[in-house]
Amino acid sequence: MTSHTSSEPFPYDGPEELQQPIVAALSRVVDPEVAMNVVDVGLIYGVTVADGKLHALVTMTSAACPVTELLIEEMETELDRDMPPELLIHVELVWEPPWTTERMSASARRFMGW
Amino acid sequence: MDHRENERKRPTFHGMVSPPTPQRPARTVGATAKVYPWTPVVMVLGLLALLGGMAGGLLRAGVTLPSAFQPGSWVGNAAVTHGALMICGFMGTVIGIERAVAVKLRVAWLAPTASGLGGMGLLAGQTALGAGLLTAAAALFVGVNVVVVHRQRAAHTLLLLAGALAWLAGSLVFWLRPGNTASLPWWFAFLVVTVAAERLEMTRLMRRRPGAQLLLGLLLGAMAAGAALTIFAARAGGVLYGLALLLLALWLGVFDIARRTVMTSGLSRYMAVCLLGGYVWLAIAGGAWAGTALGLPLRDVALHALGLGFIVSMMMGHAPVILPAIARIKIQFNGLFYLPLAALHLSLLVRLGVGLDDSAWRGTGAVLNAVAIGLFAATMAGAALLWRTRTRSGKGPDKTS
Repeated sequence: MTSHTSSEPFPYDGPEELQQPIVAALSRVVDPEVAMNVVDVGLIYGVTVADGKLHALVTMTSAACPVTELLIEEMETELDRDMPPELLIHVELVWEPPWTTERMSASARRFMGW
Repeated sequence: MDHRENERKRPTFHGMVSPPTPQRPARTVGATAKVYPWTPVVMVLGLLALLGGMAGGLLRAGVTLPSAFQPGSWVGNAAVTHGALMICGFMGTVIGIERAVAVKLRVAWLAPTASGLGGMGLLAGQTALGAGLLTAAAALFVGVNVVVVHRQRAAHTLLLLAGALAWLAGSLVFWLRPGNTASLPWWFAFLVVTVAAERLEMTRLMRRRPGAQLLLGLLLGAMAAGAALTIFAARAGGVLYGLALLLLALWLGVFDIARRTVMTSGLSRYMAVCLLGGYVWLAIAGGAWAGTALGLPLRDVALHALGLGFIVSMMMGHAPVILPAIARIKIQFNGLFYLPLAALHLSLLVRLGVGLDDSAWRGTGAVLNAVAIGLFAATMAGAALLWRTRTRSGKGPDKTS
């Protein structure tokens, strides 16, 4: 069974029972520079779980960010904690479409004074 | 389907309700990131430039160094080229490493390697060779930033490129006109524009007032104009440069997200404190830079409020995040990080306040500046040990401190 509604923090396609654990795992990854987690900043473009593989498309706010690999590694680690052990995890960095402030969550926008 | 480089077979935990937390970081670290074998070597070159630059700076401040650091040796060379060592040999190398890690291109490592070797050339008394290497490093760094702009064409990446060009301009002056201090405003512009670019990127998260980005561009343009003018008209150039720094500090104080993140906790709050404290010193540096151009005896205030108060404060704020990214050394942030930060700011008050018209206090302040930087290095080392200890003992990293 798959699910995807507009109220989700990012598009998700996969077993429903894994959706909340995935959101929770990624929400534990915090960018200390902005004091917000990567889900609230809107860095997660989407997650698909199919054929024994979890595929997350993520972006960064800057191509010059040296902590990109570290954040991706942390996303993998947090997903690794909560996902079934047989699932392969692949977090892929993409630059298109570019990140915009429209991707920030309501709580992130409140925190930043929008 | 073939597996990508950063995919891995996940181990199973048959018979275990929950896998052991302490083993998880060790199992996952390095799954995606590359650690190049030359990273430690380039970092050591940068660190040697820092140590040499600090020893040279102490000598310039009139501090009597131990007999092992007698003038005439490499310390004499370090005193003569103190600014080049600190800005290009150390900061240029660190920023070059940062950018090389970000673009993930082997060729990008040539820039920090050249700046690190340039610093060694300066320490060895091979000033022309060192200056040539620093210029080559800056030119290579310009190329790396062209790659960044090509990947993401945005205001902040264009500013990063502008910062690299400022480094190149300063290094050309240093190389082609030895002894001409007009390289300094360009070199500082490299650092200031780089910080401003990174902060501009962050301010995107806030609702920005219309015209804020244009205003920043105008201020940085005025700073570049001031640096260029300094070569031909030191007085007018210095005043323009100083005013641009002062107004830039106000811009950062108004628009930076640090005003919001300082209300949080842990590492985020610490980083914000470093930033906001740095902006105060940036404003002081701007006023002192303009004052120096007008003939006031504020040169030490201008240079070190900027180089130590602003830049080193930024460095202290970002090192807990950057070091794990470039050296793969994880650290456990803790409240002790505020000690070297407080030491830095207090030692600057001694050096630039009490020491303004008292050379003995200025020397004492310079020694305390060095102590603050040493204390910070010790805090970082302790935080790395703490992370290892917590991970091995099964507690896992503490994300709340």
